Amino acid sequence: MPGDQELFDAVLQADRDRVIAAVRAGVDGGTPVSSLLMDCMVPAMREIGDRFAAGELFIPEMLFAARAMQAGLDIVEPLLGDSDHGSLGRVAVGTVKGDMHDIGKNLVVMMLKGGGYRVTDLGVDCSLETYEAAVAEGSTVLCCSALLTSTMTYMKQVVGRFQKDPAVKVIVGGAPVTRAFAEDIGADGFAEHASEATRVVSACLAGSAPAR
Amino acid sequence: MSGEGDGAMERLYAERLARYTTAMRNGRPDMVPIRPFVAEFTARHAGFTCQEVTHDYDKAFEAARRCAVDFDWDAVVSNMVYVWTGLTQAMGLRYYGVPGIDVPPDVGFQYLEPGDDGAFMRADEYDELIADPTAFLYNVWLPRVSSEVMQPGEASSYRGNLALVKGAMAMMQYFGAFGTQNARLRCESGTVSAIAGIFKAPFDILADKLRGYVGLCMDMCEQPSKVLEACEALMPHLYHVAKTTADPLQQVPIGYWMHRGCVPFVSPDQFASHYWPTVRPIIEELWRHGHQTLFYAEGDWKHHLESFRELPDQSIVYHVDQADVFDVHERLGDKFCLSGGIPNFLLAHRPASEVRDFCKKVIDVVAADGGYIMDASAIMQHDTRGENLAAMTECTREYGVYSGGTSSPPATPIVAEGSLSAHGGSATRPGQCVEWAKKAASLPVLEGDADLVEEVWNNIDSLGNVFIWQWLLSF
Ligand code: B1M
Repeated sequence: MPGDQELFDAVLQADRDRVIAAVRAGVDGGTPVSSLLMDCMVPAMREIGDRFAAGELFIPEMLFAARAMQAGLDIVEPLLGDSDHGSLGRVAVGTVKGDMHDIGKNLVVMMLKGGGYRVTDLGVDCSLETYEAAVAEGSTVLCCSALLTSTMTYMKQVVGRFQKDPAVKVIVGGAPVTRAFAEDIGADGFAEHASEATRVVSACLAGSAPAR
Repeated sequence: MSGEGDGAMERLYAERLARYTTAMRNGRPDMVPIRPFVAEFTARHAGFTCQEVTHDYDKAFEAARRCAVDFDWDAVVSNMVYVWTGLTQAMGLRYYGVPGIDVPPDVGFQYLEPGDDGAFMRADEYDELIADPTAFLYNVWLPRVSSEVMQPGEASSYRGNLALVKGAMAMMQYFGAFGTQNARLRCESGTVSAIAGIFKAPFDILADKLRGYVGLCMDMCEQPSKVLEACEALMPHLYHVAKTTADPLQQVPIGYWMHRGCVPFVSPDQFASHYWPTVRPIIEELWRHGHQTLFYAEGDWKHHLESFRELPDQSIVYHVDQADVFDVHERLGDKFCLSGGIPNFLLAHRPASEVRDFCKKVIDVVAADGGYIMDASAIMQHDTRGENLAAMTECTREYGVYSGGTSSPPATPIVAEGSLSAHGGSATRPGQCVEWAKKAASLPVLEGDADLVEEVWNNIDSLGNVFIWQWLLSF
């Protein structure tokens, strides 16, 4: 790995103070901030996501890693130029209208941040207007989460709203959501796990649409 | 109703009760029992809004009875839309979104978990909780979850006093109404009330109602031994609630709502160190007293089935939510009765033919030797389709008949008192609020029947205990 091993390890071990120290040392030592993000923090978060998907890490560890990474991002982000960060794309993540579950959605937010994307966390109970506003602010991928069989149908409305806009992709996930359901409602993608969401977003932005 | 009609209904009830209890003891009844946990679906079926059934429990009860009359079900929960606005409004309870007030009238009530910054218990309050859980609930927790009740030390207020009086009276009224509801289910449709009593894991109580899940995750990292101590301190109290609310006839199980004690909410190590050791003794002791527990295993507990096998045969009924019901059957079916496993997605969004195909498969495999109860995976809200529930019911009646099944009354286990009935170290005994000894010290020397005075004190005092622990567990 070309980046800073200490920063990579600190994120992986969810050690907030060490992340802050390693980022500061990197910045002070002249390492390009884009490299701190893309070569150290992003690979560490990818590793964390893979371990979670493999059942080796659990939600508490993911939450700690997210906090540690966020502390690093708070330093790095203001220093990033648009070309360093914005090039990967802007993604908005929200739990759909009527649904207040956010543990899974928060993991998706954190994995996408850890994947180097600019992420807008839309929170819970998101209406079409909320997603529209996110698109107006530059998001090109919308991630919808739902935990209730009674709210997952709202995803169809979100997909319908943006179907005619080729620049916007809508991808879906959450416990009751299946690939078949995603295909049924015409979503541009489906992710079973938070770490898979990063890959699906990346595929969407690259122009291939796995679930449609 | 004629005497003959009453007799027929009573026979139907007895048949269904035997079918249900035989299956729950992992036996082979005459046919597969059906026990759907229908919540807001009942409103949809009876033509009420979610607002109506939440605000008016008579309507909620009526909706449940309507379902029991219209569908051939063996057992139902008397009211699965268990939150009544009368209660939440009396206390100004902060953690429910109520239809027509906080959420639209046709959306079910919902529990709103505060974020870690607004948790109802702070990270530095473990010692206070551990020392006296009942006092902590009254002094610290209740004033925080209620917009009306004052903190000790604050000036009392008219609204605060009213809230306590109205809250207690509302609870009495509501709980009292369940007796009539169960009797009406029995005589109007021959339907069994599916569960009695309530249990939740100490760990879940901390996550759901005290520290919040994220707060508890932090505590598990920063002060795991305090968390364990708190779980242990809660144990005798939660056992007491379960035991005293259980079915005295030992026929139907205690409901145990399992929220976030499984992987990936906790690590396998945390399950082994905190969650399971503070649940298992309670389940075992309830079983020693003849009470089965219904493990309503929300989510997927596949990583923990081996731990559940440590429990005595038949001591639990295991409800399958998002796990693979066929896999759970292979791993637990020899020891415990299973229920559920029919995906809510199918029941809400797929054609009836798919529901039938899936139910038939479950009956063929999981129910083959008895010990299975037909139900959806999770509680059924108003998105569930009536025709799909009818398909589930008809398919079970069509394919779920056993040849040579028996309906033997369940054996009663040996009763033995264990350590959980004891204090558990907390200042106030489970079931009490102010100990008699403290009260007695403030009285003159008693004359006549002193035991009678003590008994009355203890009985009335225990109502204060019921009040606070029921808020914590049931609402
Ligand atoms: C591209 O975009 C993407 C991609 C991937 C995506 C994605 C988006 N979103 C998620 N992913 C994926 O990545 C994540 C990590 O890999 C995964 O995310 P998940 O979100 O699937 O998984 C999370 C990491 C963990 N899973 C969870 O967090 C959900 C856990 C359970 C226990 C659960 C919880 C915690 C809660 N609940 Co609720 N709750 C249950 C759940 C039962 C269970 N154990 O599963 C479920 C979902 N709840 C249910 C119910 C009924 C309810 N709940 C309610 C309330 C709550 C709490 C507030 C108590 C709490 C939420 C706290 C919070 N801040 O989120 C109410 C509704 C509130 C509302 N309007 O939303 C209420 C209605 C109960 C009530 N009457 O109050 C049931 C739904 C039944 C149904 N018919 O669908 C339920 C299955 C429980 C049950 N068995 O009955 C993937 O799916």
